[in-house]
Amino acid sequence: MPVLEVENLRKQYPKFLLDNISFSLDEGRIMGLIGRNGAGKTTTLKSIFNLVHPDGGEVRIFGLNMPADESEIKQRIGYAGGAVDYYKHKKLRDICAVTSAFYKNWDDSAYRKYLDAFSLDEDKTPLELSEGMRVKFSLTLALSHHAGLLILDEPTSGLDPVSRSELLDTFLFLKEKGVSILFSTHITTDIEKCADDITYIASGRLIASEPMTDFMRKNSDSGNGNSLEDIMVHYEKESLYEKLAD
Amino acid sequence: MKNLLIKEIRLASSPLSYIFLAAAFMTMLPGYPILMGAFFICFGIFHSFQNSREANDTLYTVLLPVKKGDFVRVKFAFTCIIQLLGFVICAALTVVRMTALSAAKPYTGNALMNATPVFLAFVLLIYSAFNILFLGGFFKTAYKIGMPFLSFGIAVLIIVAVAESLPHIPALSFLRSPSGERLEIQCAALAVAAVFYCVSTAVSCKKAQNRFEKIDL
Repeated sequence: MPVLEVENLRKQYPKFLLDNISFSLDEGRIMGLIGRNGAGKTTTLKSIFNLVHPDGGEVRIFGLNMPADESEIKQRIGYAGGAVDYYKHKKLRDICAVTSAFYKNWDDSAYRKYLDAFSLDEDKTPLELSEGMRVKFSLTLALSHHAGLLILDEPTSGLDPVSRSELLDTFLFLKEKGVSILFSTHITTDIEKCADDITYIASGRLIASEPMTDFMRKNSDSGNGNSLEDIMVHYEKESLYEKLAD
Repeated sequence: MKNLLIKEIRLASSPLSYIFLAAAFMTMLPGYPILMGAFFICFGIFHSFQNSREANDTLYTVLLPVKKGDFVRVKFAFTCIIQLLGFVICAALTVVRMTALSAAKPYTGNALMNATPVFLAFVLLIYSAFNILFLGGFFKTAYKIGMPFLSFGIAVLIIVAVAESLPHIPALSFLRSPSGERLEIQCAALAVAAVFYCVSTAVSCKKAQNRFEKIDL
């Protein structure tokens, strides 16, 4: 059963068009949203979350419509746009105390567990944390209200290789618990390590949205490359050649 | 809304919003344009908006399980709470000046506006200007605070100039009376200002919600 359905999402900016993006994510699966910088990944995620207003298309989460059922949907999902960059002078303890009051399913023991697992000190402020630790705090908040769907915008950017690996392991752990995860990245190895499905956007257009194995097999058979990096380079180089030829 | 107000107080607001409430005590100053106290109270609130912008409060709040428009409502609610706290202090001090201190020399010979119900009406007009011009302007972008505050500052100058000039018109000299002459007219002016404050704030809030809904964050 799909927990997230995006249909014909469209957003026009003066110099960029996100053009009819459609994909769906099933329960307990991890989807990597991949594309180079400026491809439209963040616009897609923000449109899903009603942070930007799509010019067209529909978003349904847990069968509910966004933005009509905005409050209810947000109770059941977690969003982390990379590192926490708010209230940098406030202690994590204070940020958590305020945040927890908004969630019906806030689980303080889960919060403590993630704090401990990520070695976060509640008496520190975001300003005192490294980029990686701020990503982890952002995730801790998202995970502590038992979100059924996590939407993460480039969560692994700025993390060292060990932290990145730990984070991807956390995704796999959450997947086993039935949590669905949609995360954007341009780091192809992150996708290869844990994603079940892939949605690939290039220059605002949907290249593919399908199970990872199907995507890899099709592209391998077509001679586009055997690794995600090769395939991505193949598509992006092709579009650059097209631009130069015009 | 209660949780959002707690968020506002614990995370987003600046301590200056509370410290500048002390400007309400300017009501007691003789020979000073005491309406500037209302401006300083609004200036304190402005610091919370600045603080909130620097702390990325907008993004944090709209990601919480609340409606996007609730962000606007809580900002208006916080502003009104601070303004009304300031107003209560001004009103209490006005009563003191009009009763126990009505014959005090510094006030009887005061060349500028004395604390009267009409003074309180002008306080509410300054608050209304803040809610219309600053808050209304801020929610066009949810980011820019300079121009909206500048337009509010200009409006305050005009309001203070008008308020300080009116008692110099012979027919309106009672407005400066430290003991509150023609109190019924003054109270009626205060009531009109109170209605204007409520209506203009509600309309500004509604317009700000509509504007904020259209902003891409």
